[in-house]
Amino acid sequence: MSEVKKTKYFNPYIGGVLLGLVLLAANFVSGRGLGASGAIKSAVVSTVNTVAPSHAENSAFYKNYNESHENPMKSWLVFQMMGVLVGGFLSGAFAKRLKFKVEHSPKITSKRRIIFAILGGMFFGFGSQLGRGCTSGSALSGMAVLSVGGFLTMACIFGTAFALAYFFRKNWI
Amino acid sequence: MKMRLILASVFIPLGIIIAAIPENTTKPFKLTAEELLDEVKDGTQFVSTDELADMLVQKDPSLQLIDVRSQAEFEKYSLPGAINIPLTQILSDEYEEYIDQGVKMNVFYSNGNLKANEAWMLTRQLGYENNFVMQGGLNYWAETILNPQAPKSVMADDEIAKYDFRKGASAALGGGNAVVTNTNTVKKTKPTIKKRKKKKRAAGGC
Amino acid sequence: MAPLIVNEIISPDTNLLIAFLIGIGFGFVLEGSGFSSSCKLAGMFYGYDTTVLKVFFTAAITAMVGMLFFSLFGWMDLDFVYINPTYVTSAIVGGVVMGVGFIMGGFCPGTAFCAISIGKLDALAFIGGLTLGIVFFTEGYPLFEEMYKANFIGTPTMNELLDIPRGVFALGLILMAFAMFWVGEWAEKKFPREEY
Repeated sequence: MSEVKKTKYFNPYIGGVLLGLVLLAANFVSGRGLGASGAIKSAVVSTVNTVAPSHAENSAFYKNYNESHENPMKSWLVFQMMGVLVGGFLSGAFAKRLKFKVEHSPKITSKRRIIFAILGGMFFGFGSQLGRGCTSGSALSGMAVLSVGGFLTMACIFGTAFALAYFFRKNWI
Repeated sequence: MKMRLILASVFIPLGIIIAAIPENTTKPFKLTAEELLDEVKDGTQFVSTDELADMLVQKDPSLQLIDVRSQAEFEKYSLPGAINIPLTQILSDEYEEYIDQGVKMNVFYSNGNLKANEAWMLTRQLGYENNFVMQGGLNYWAETILNPQAPKSVMADDEIAKYDFRKGASAALGGGNAVVTNTNTVKKTKPTIKKRKKKKRAAGGC
Repeated sequence: MAPLIVNEIISPDTNLLIAFLIGIGFGFVLEGSGFSSSCKLAGMFYGYDTTVLKVFFTAAITAMVGMLFFSLFGWMDLDFVYINPTYVTSAIVGGVVMGVGFIMGGFCPGTAFCAISIGKLDALAFIGGLTLGIVFFTEGYPLFEEMYKANFIGTPTMNELLDIPRGVFALGLILMAFAMFWVGEWAEKKFPREEY
């Protein structure tokens, strides 16, 4: 617990209870859980709509999406993600953690860290669309409502990450 | 470290509580307007006067007749074994145990179909089961059970059998001279179903 | 009675405002718990820091117990709460792909947003990658559509699948969570790490 004091993070259990209460509030008010990747999808779709409207009309995915969503940017998740940016900033400001930097293990270069971050992001982005949600949308929110899909996705994410941890150990330890 | 134990001592008892008590399944407004309409279309809530008369003659213990007319009307005439729950008080707490139960077969009746049907609709929308409506109300009851019309001799055998049954039931249930006031019933006021939008699950996901 | 939006107690626009407020809470708690640090997140998989496990499961059981009690008191109708649909194939494949992304990138989308809000540039790269990954999916959708929609089994919940009462499953999950916390704290002692 000594490192927790040093970095002034919440006790993980307290943080967990607070996060659970936020999730409970989301379900209580809006009848839904939290999410993150959906907001990026909204941004992607609305960008495509603006930049290449003819492409959006001809491509199956955008067509379906636009038919079921009036305005992709006026979605619950987009507003929620804007809140996350504000909330994260506030917390960082209170704890004096605001600083531009590339965080990486001392054994690797910043460049290597950035490359792996981009690659990891690509995998995660693709997986989140296939799995209908990321760790927050599918795994966490799904688990809270006892959804089978949520548990399955959670087990696969953490299971795979554990299984592959050995091969990527140089990046982290 | 210590926090884990504090949390465990809160969550594990809560988990035991939630595991020990049954789920809350009573929810107001269980049915959507569409679902209710489907039931109305099928007419599943109706019980014919013949079936009722049969149950009364048999003294079927599962039958509970409920008179939804006013108290004055109830005192003037009522069916055997009926209790009086005026329509205006159908949602009051003191009658809830009669209406929301899974043991007896409740049959609402009024002079015509109207009030009884309204009572059924209210209770059905609350998700209560085992409530029914006597088809045609007391007027039809008087017409078919208390003062049955003798069928012509050319009629089919089952018509005659029905008449014989009705005649017998009539004698058993004190028919022949009952006076049913033909006052309210199918007049004016259309049954107003409160319109509710169909609720959808909130959309979600990533 | 909740959910408020379903019962039209609040308007859709208010709902968006609430989404913003909930997002602030979400971001604040994530950052405050240390989820803005990819090293802390990755620590989960090497045993030196199991914050992720603790926060994640504590949050899940808190929300779950909360909802079960709200339902019990009649404050909330769980029938109208969104339950993630289960498409077995895509849940597994998607989960595996996300797992690869997690160990490579060290973030998940929510934590990456949280990290960028305090200036972590690796999170910015991760978000760039996320966008590319999503574009890859949306552009190639016809290729993945079959897999995306395969083995749909509706919106079952775990207790329905196991055919046990909801509360009993909840208790089991709580006990499992605390067992994992215990293992996690044991691992932190076994694989200590001073500075990261």
